[in-house]
Amino acid sequence: MAGILDFAPAIVLLPFLSFLIALGAGRYMPKGGALAGIGATAGSFVLSIATFFAVSGGQTYNQTIYTWAEGLDAINLTFGLLIDPLSSMMLVIVTLVALLVHIFSLGYMNDEGETGLPRYYAGLGLFTASMLGFVVADNLLMAFMFFELVGLCSYLLIGFHFRQDGPPSAAKKAFLVTRFGDYFFLIGVVAVFATFGSAAFAGPDAFPVLAEEALNGEHSVNTFLGMGEQAWFTVVGLLVLGGVVGKSAQFPLHTWLPDAMEGPTPVSALIHAATMVAAGVYLVARMYGFYVLTPTTLAIIALIGGFTALFAATMGVVKKEIKQVLAYSTISQYGYMMLGLGAGGYVAATFHLMTHAFFKALLFLGAGSVIIAMHHNENMWDMGGLKDKMPVTYYAFLSGSLALAGIVPFAGFWSKDEVLYETLIHGLGGSPILLAAYAMGLLAVFFTGFYTFRMVFLTFHGEPRSGTARDPHGVRWNVKGPLAVLGVLAATTGLVNMVPVEKLFGIKGIDFLHQFLDGSFSSLNAHHYAELIPYSSGYIGGEAGTVAIGAAVSLGFALGGAALAHVLYNVPEPVEHTDKLGSIKTVLYNNYYQDEYQVWIATGVVQPISRVLDKFDQGIVDGVVNGISSVSLFAGGRVKRIQTGVVSNYVALLTLGLTALLLGLGLLGGWFA
Amino acid sequence: MVPPQYYLLLSAAVFCIGIFGLLTRRNALLFLMSVELMLNAANINLVAFSYYWGNVTGQTFTLFTLALAAAEVAVGIGIILVLYRNFDGVDVTNATTMRW
Repeated sequence: MAGILDFAPAIVLLPFLSFLIALGAGRYMPKGGALAGIGATAGSFVLSIATFFAVSGGQTYNQTIYTWAEGLDAINLTFGLLIDPLSSMMLVIVTLVALLVHIFSLGYMNDEGETGLPRYYAGLGLFTASMLGFVVADNLLMAFMFFELVGLCSYLLIGFHFRQDGPPSAAKKAFLVTRFGDYFFLIGVVAVFATFGSAAFAGPDAFPVLAEEALNGEHSVNTFLGMGEQAWFTVVGLLVLGGVVGKSAQFPLHTWLPDAMEGPTPVSALIHAATMVAAGVYLVARMYGFYVLTPTTLAIIALIGGFTALFAATMGVVKKEIKQVLAYSTISQYGYMMLGLGAGGYVAATFHLMTHAFFKALLFLGAGSVIIAMHHNENMWDMGGLKDKMPVTYYAFLSGSLALAGIVPFAGFWSKDEVLYETLIHGLGGSPILLAAYAMGLLAVFFTGFYTFRMVFLTFHGEPRSGTARDPHGVRWNVKGPLAVLGVLAATTGLVNMVPVEKLFGIKGIDFLHQFLDGSFSSLNAHHYAELIPYSSGYIGGEAGTVAIGAAVSLGFALGGAALAHVLYNVPEPVEHTDKLGSIKTVLYNNYYQDEYQVWIATGVVQPISRVLDKFDQGIVDGVVNGISSVSLFAGGRVKRIQTGVVSNYVALLTLGLTALLLGLGLLGGWFA
Repeated sequence: MVPPQYYLLLSAAVFCIGIFGLLTRRNALLFLMSVELMLNAANINLVAFSYYWGNVTGQTFTLFTLALAAAEVAVGIGIILVLYRNFDGVDVTNATTMRW
């Protein structure tokens, strides 16, 4: 069957090709290799759209492309492609955002006279290619490898301005913190191989299917540490979750993400919307069939998600720099996705992943536009009144902000509401943990509305508060174009999945995303997951009533936050109202001292232990080795003395040796007997 | 016919004279001569057994050994010349730079 899906590998290979071109020939090309990147991502985008429609038509693709390690009786390690609704949707998101980021970079990097552009575009190309490779991976090991490549690219791009002080250290932090999580992920991958003998996501020997059959007692799998199957699967799930928590910046491994703002703004957009951070949540969605089997893991995911959503949102409230606010909003929004996944809302979380990709890319690119206009000053207290000077940026940014705050009918409302709704009904069905997570998520909605509009009002409204804000630098089409595209998407993508409208008014068939994610391999579709979810549902006043109450409450909270921001900050001369919080503000501004506490763990706990271990290594392990070697050194020093350099001595030794040999042989051989 | 024991005794005597020379002398030229004596002790054995068994292989082999000895002397004399130049004499116990 030579369908469009046979070209799917090209989606990954095109950006990789642009990476090679930009790296090898970028400095001889106009625009420093940008055109190759734009061409490649545009090609990938077109192919992704075609793939998306082919998948909508019911086609799927699950093929091993290359076996790079063949086991005789054991496991083959392979690269392969799995195209199903989830991955085809993600392909479209990633390629679209990557394309727009490439175009935006023309305005943000080329027009601003940055140097090292080939390196930048090569990084973008590799970043896109590795994320796409991760998205289409058909087994966990391949996913892990591309997961690591994504981490590497984030390191390269966050540290792009490597001559300054901040970026290299931020890049190292991002790499190390995510690496810490990935360490658990690696053990998880090995555990999956050891348990199931296969790490495929789909097909007859897919590990989620094997796990399900094992729990039903249909056949046995290897478990370790004397655990039962359920307990062992929970352990494996949590190990893989370590990587997710690191990459998706969930508490407690979220600290790298705000620092990653040191990278160029288009890179931040790519990291937050489509590539790096999305990888973690996508991984959980990809192997959801496995997670859904272990209620403990799901509850932990939901709790981490809900807590992170609230925790990050509170820190976003006091930040001064526009990109910092956005960074905390990203952490918070990914918390919602984790909450959705943990609460059994697979479609809801995937939906939020999609809408968030669009509106967060929009917000970052909008912030980038503002930063260009402000001559790279990111402090919101130096802005103000930019509304009239840059209307395209303003309206696009406003669209993104409304989506982020979750105001109807913008994209974020529909997806966030569905996440909260799923959490609520499953919580009401008898799961107090989910209810607690729901409460945290709901409270975070208020903070989200507040910090989002605080940012909007401080940046665009009121009187200009500095000379640059009075006379901002203009931006060109290559900045406005991507903003306009994403602005429209942020306003409209919510309409693909209007579940509340369907439930309230009984209009059937407008939950397109649900239908889309239902068609697929039978072990990978939303319907299958829904059957396996270990939660039951409960309602307040019927299904429609619960939908209405849930939506009204979350919208009310969002509007309340936005209104508070309006009252406080939408004035000609706003002041720092957060100062009234006193010491709370200090705590929030210092991110709950999370960095300090992690540094303390490193220097106060790990370092002494390492020192003791170092003593043991240097003293005992090395001591034994050095002792043995000193014996032979000493012996050699003595024995070498027979090498005198005097020929006569050698002759004498030879003769003596010969005599001794003859005597010995003679005695043993019985000559003298 | 002379019995082979006599040849063997002669050969052993010549070999021991060679070894004695090596052990007692310090002159490099005498070293060389002593080595030649030891080689020829071996040759005597080869020729004697060849004659005893009526097989010419041993005698042929001796010819080769003689050629080898000649070549060895050529090299040996060369070494002795260099020794003389570098250590002001042909005393082998003076040239002790190649020790540990």
